[in-house]
Amino acid sequence: MQPLTFRQVDRDILRTMEPPGRLYYGLLALVLAVILWGVYAWWYQIQTGLAVAGLNNPVGWGAYITNFVFWVGIAHSGTLISAILYLFRARWRTAVYRSAEAMTVFAIMTAGLFPLIHLGRPWYFYWLLPYPNQRNLWPNFQSPLLWDVVAIGTYMTVSVTFFFIGLIPDLATARDQATGWRRLFYGILSLGWRGSDREWRHYRSGYLFFAALATPLVVSVHSVVSWDFAMSIVPGWHSTIFAPYFVAGAIHSGLAMVITILLPLRRIFRLEAYLLPRHFENLAKLIIVTGLIVGYAYLVEFFLAWYSGNVYEHAVFLDRATGHYAPEFWIMVTFNAVLPLLFFIRRVRTSPAWLVGISLGITIGMWFERFVIIVASLAHSYIPFSWGLYRPTWVELSITAGSFAWFLFWFLLFAKFLPSVSMTEVKEQIPEEAG
Amino acid sequence: MDRRDFLKILGGSGAAAALSGCAQPVEKILPYVIPDEDIVPGVATWYATVCRECPAGCGMLVRTREGRAVKVEGNPAHPVNAGALCARGQASLQGLYNPDRIPHPLRRDASGKTHPMSWAEAEALLAERFAALRARGAGDRVAFVGRLETGSLRRLVGEFLAAIGSMQYLTYEPFAYEPLRAANHIAFGRAAIPFYDIEAAEFLLSFDADFLETWISPVAFARAFARFRTVREGTRPGFAYVGPRLNLTAANADAWLPIRPGTEGILALGMIQVILQEKLVPVSGPERDRVWTLVQGYDPPAVAKATDLPAETVQQLARAFVLPRPSLALGGGIAASANNATATLVAINTLNAIVGNLGRTVRFGPNASIAEASPYADLQRLIQAMAQGDVEVLLLHDVNPLFTLPAATGFAEALAKVPLVVSFSSFPDETTMRAHLVLPDHTPLESWGDYAPRAGVAGLVQPTMRPVFASKGLGDVLLAVARQMGGEVAKALPAESFQAYLQEVWRGHHRRLAPTIPFEEFWEAALKRGGVWEEVPDERVRLTLGGIAAVEPEVAGSSEGLTLLTVPSLQHFDGRGANRPWLQELPDPLSQIVWDAWVEIHPETARQRGIGEGDIVRLTSPFGQIELPAHLSAGLRKDVVAVPIGQGHTAFGRYAERRGANPLLLLAPRAEEASGALPRLSVRVALARTGARSLLASPAGSSQQVGEGVARTITLTELNRSEAEPGPRHEAGSLYPAHVHPDHRWGMAIDLNACIGCSACVVACAAENNVPVVGKERVSQGRIMSWIRIERYLEEGPSFPRPRFVPMLCQHCDNAPCESVCPVFATYHNPEGLNAMVYNRCVGTRYCANNCPYKVRRFNWQTYPWPSPLHLQLNPDVSVREMGVMEKCTFCVQRIREAKENAKDEGRGVRDGEITPACAQTCPTSAIVFGDLKDPQSRVVRLARDPRGYHVLGELNTRPAITYLKRVVLGRSPI
Repeated sequence: MQPLTFRQVDRDILRTMEPPGRLYYGLLALVLAVILWGVYAWWYQIQTGLAVAGLNNPVGWGAYITNFVFWVGIAHSGTLISAILYLFRARWRTAVYRSAEAMTVFAIMTAGLFPLIHLGRPWYFYWLLPYPNQRNLWPNFQSPLLWDVVAIGTYMTVSVTFFFIGLIPDLATARDQATGWRRLFYGILSLGWRGSDREWRHYRSGYLFFAALATPLVVSVHSVVSWDFAMSIVPGWHSTIFAPYFVAGAIHSGLAMVITILLPLRRIFRLEAYLLPRHFENLAKLIIVTGLIVGYAYLVEFFLAWYSGNVYEHAVFLDRATGHYAPEFWIMVTFNAVLPLLFFIRRVRTSPAWLVGISLGITIGMWFERFVIIVASLAHSYIPFSWGLYRPTWVELSITAGSFAWFLFWFLLFAKFLPSVSMTEVKEQIPEEAG
Repeated sequence: MDRRDFLKILGGSGAAAALSGCAQPVEKILPYVIPDEDIVPGVATWYATVCRECPAGCGMLVRTREGRAVKVEGNPAHPVNAGALCARGQASLQGLYNPDRIPHPLRRDASGKTHPMSWAEAEALLAERFAALRARGAGDRVAFVGRLETGSLRRLVGEFLAAIGSMQYLTYEPFAYEPLRAANHIAFGRAAIPFYDIEAAEFLLSFDADFLETWISPVAFARAFARFRTVREGTRPGFAYVGPRLNLTAANADAWLPIRPGTEGILALGMIQVILQEKLVPVSGPERDRVWTLVQGYDPPAVAKATDLPAETVQQLARAFVLPRPSLALGGGIAASANNATATLVAINTLNAIVGNLGRTVRFGPNASIAEASPYADLQRLIQAMAQGDVEVLLLHDVNPLFTLPAATGFAEALAKVPLVVSFSSFPDETTMRAHLVLPDHTPLESWGDYAPRAGVAGLVQPTMRPVFASKGLGDVLLAVARQMGGEVAKALPAESFQAYLQEVWRGHHRRLAPTIPFEEFWEAALKRGGVWEEVPDERVRLTLGGIAAVEPEVAGSSEGLTLLTVPSLQHFDGRGANRPWLQELPDPLSQIVWDAWVEIHPETARQRGIGEGDIVRLTSPFGQIELPAHLSAGLRKDVVAVPIGQGHTAFGRYAERRGANPLLLLAPRAEEASGALPRLSVRVALARTGARSLLASPAGSSQQVGEGVARTITLTELNRSEAEPGPRHEAGSLYPAHVHPDHRWGMAIDLNACIGCSACVVACAAENNVPVVGKERVSQGRIMSWIRIERYLEEGPSFPRPRFVPMLCQHCDNAPCESVCPVFATYHNPEGLNAMVYNRCVGTRYCANNCPYKVRRFNWQTYPWPSPLHLQLNPDVSVREMGVMEKCTFCVQRIREAKENAKDEGRGVRDGEITPACAQTCPTSAIVFGDLKDPQSRVVRLARDPRGYHVLGELNTRPAITYLKRVVLGRSPI
């Protein structure tokens, strides 16, 4: 392959932003239809009450909180790739980080909906926010749910800012090539970037600072999310390993989602020159690591349940592996901990088909992981008389489908309106003489 | 547009939007222009009356607010129930406010359509009809069938019928215990039902008498039973239950002996033989010989063969029955309802007599008035007369024979032959739906009347509020009809109203009991007290035995079939409770099933026939067939199936209709000769799967306890060994500062040794706290709203599981897991130790419910309706919760507030025992004690220190305010 030139980079990447074809509009229409259906289901739920969901006593949280944790998890690898790998100077991240970051932003936008959707009285959601009010009522800072609000809010703010900062030079490039309203659009977004040396200096140090700021958030956000569970006393939730376990799981699912999305993107936008097999291989290697951590966590959970001598923990974990939710449990173990081990085989981690297949498996597996942790634990808590079962209804499934459509909707817009590979950083890596 | 116009338009459109949002019709608010002197807004008025939900006749206090009854409670001064009520009594309010009540008189035309009519028309029609009959001298062609009445109404009906020339007055109770009466007549020369003093017994043996559920006077028996089971001086008496099915009463026994149904008498005779043989009691002379001839041939092996109990058991039972004394044997249920029931009960009477229980635990004198009900045989004769066309007018008062009589009695066909059927029922039950004239009576809570459940106890019934509908009391209707008929009839019944008639009758009591004070004073005192009671001296009776031998019962149907047990239901009694949604949603204590009937089959029997839980099974007897879902239970014999009585209504309102099936339809119509009773053990049924399945809704998860368990027991030996110190209470430290309770910390003690699982508390709580009824489907989805529940666990026994009951409600933890997780402080710890819930602040995250280890929080998944006029029952002191908020037990905080305010008004502190939450108030066994944990003298503190005390899940460091006291098990066989 010819070595890349700056001009070619601009051409290749900006080409992805040209007016789309019929397929794109078809996809967009489909996604919008599913979103509308999800909105209808939510409206119906607000009208009728949560009775239309499958939730009950004892299972007060179900598909909605599963989706919440799932999407927060998806949001994780974006920052991992863009910030942590940036700090570690892992060069291979260059090609993938823009999409991963976009994914982060959209996944948080999706995740943030679910705490609202699952409320009994969603019209009072703002009571969860610490705002000064005449009644002098503050939220309960002891409640992990409040920590959640803070953690997610912070993460959202930082990742959006970080995403935007990284975009500025590319937006300027787009502005320079665009005409009409697009020029105005990119012009405003690029904040008057001219590429002067001073701008570059500020940009580089600012980007570095944000990377440093975002890095602890990767760990903290999902740790806090995990404390929603770990801070409670529900057997199967109340565990000290939850924070690292959830962080690893989040990255696991996030990486899988990156692969799932990038591989088709690479094909459609013919970005083979940028997204090299080596990049995917590296992602796959990371997945091996997170997969091993997650698998280890599964084992440790069972070990702790056994070693604690706590009868309730025994009961809940025995039930998890053999009870009503055993199929979901074994899906989770197989897809998250066993399947990724195939990436040890070089041929597997270099084959696009295998990559997408296993990544999809992990995405499904990680959804079920959250489902099993949330539902199977609640269903089998301390009082045997109150054990019960949960099954999502059409409303919950519709809203879940709607959330995937919502996520895809934003991603579709992203793919057409923003450069999905960072031109700036790709150019940085082109050897001096070639440019 | 300027600013002003903009604001005008904005304001106008805003108002329009707000107005168009009001879809509900405008209701006028009427102030008290002339306030009723009895009504102080916000202050409750209490009326004493009598519960008429069953013939037990417990005393009742009705709490009214702003002129409507909102809660019923037991009358603490009443000798029968002393303040307690059962679940059915608590639900009487839903009779009063039943949305399916008949609102006004109805006339049914030939096509079956009903037309409203006025009371004047109805009375004129009746007067004309009776006058015509009387003129023809055919007054005897009028028959009256009513529920059991003992006082003024019984007299009035009698006098009215006599005046028009009829003698046909039947008081019909489906459970009238005729064989008990007949057996007492044979054995002791008294055709009465004595007072059984369970409390005084040192050993209790029940031959299938379900005295904790429906038998004679269950609340009184439950109270006595709790005292009977109390540990005194390191021991407590034993209780053995002999019967084919493990019902709630058997579940509270120390041993359940699953005898072949109908052979209970043989067992009693066998026991007598052992007692005489082993000379366990000093019986000698001619009496011994007489009894001996009776029991000859009933040696233990023979008895064992007949009864399917081991021969040793017969001997052991006999020995246990003799020492210690007095003991007590009760005969009821299936034992007292085969066609050998009288013989069986004579044998049981003899058993009581020879060990000297007469006059000690079996006391004639304060006899139960249920013995005054007409025997079934009388009804049979009436049916015959009806079928022959000898009855021209049939008057029915609050009875439903179409439901409670077997189809084979031919009642339905006979009813069709009566030209004029008049029903005075308040409810559209099956029989009423066939009546030509429906003249709705007041419900007991709207009526005047009196009822004496047993000799020496005369309860007064008074209206507690104005009638909800245009109903009219039966007494007043009869008096009005008599007035209209004029002549001799009017002269015979001169009273101007039933109230006046009632007072006239009570002048008799006045003359007898308190002639020195003016009648008005006596009357008012009686009204306030709820009646008058007097000591009734015991009658001395002797065993006057004729020759009678126990025989095996005759049971119709193929010998391969299974014997059908029709069991009275705790919730619905004979079916009359089926239209109360509270009772429908009350889980059956043993099966935990709600809103349904089922056929109970032993798992082994079911397996042989390929029947699984929930399979719909067709039961065929020689007299009919019904279909019911199967419920498998190891708590009954393998050769029987059991069906609860009460469901299967084809009419009777929205809550009762189309649920389950009525097993009474399958029974043989032949009366038992000796007593004239309808045998309820009379058929075998063939089972066939229909292939369909049905959902049996139940709130119960697992019945197996985990670890130390929720419902714990202690054996007598362990109890005596343990020091008089409370058991270990896990109390670890906390990161947060401890709560300060400056004045009170409310707490509770629940004695599982007293709790019998009767579930009265569950209904009382629903009534007090506006807990909605959600319906069968929602229960099956895990959305039952009850704030208190009776958890039932099954402890594996050698041959059958032993049920354990534990009331579960909010534990009001000092260290509550629910409080710290609520993001908006909707639940918090109040300074009196209550775990309070601010409904208005709740956003519905449900985190609290997830984190509650006791799973007592209830979420409003939707807004639940109270069909009018059920909403009139809502307690104005308790908010009705809306969709999307969490709720749970408050320890009846409204009662705490009321007591505190009263105490403050009187310038004193709250006294121990002054506050009783609804659950504790109604508990027939006083298992629940509420009080201040900061008051060292309080009962609750004393109980919390009991060596039997424990905290459920105390190891979680939740520090509950509720201490449970372990149930004491004998740890050995009671026999």
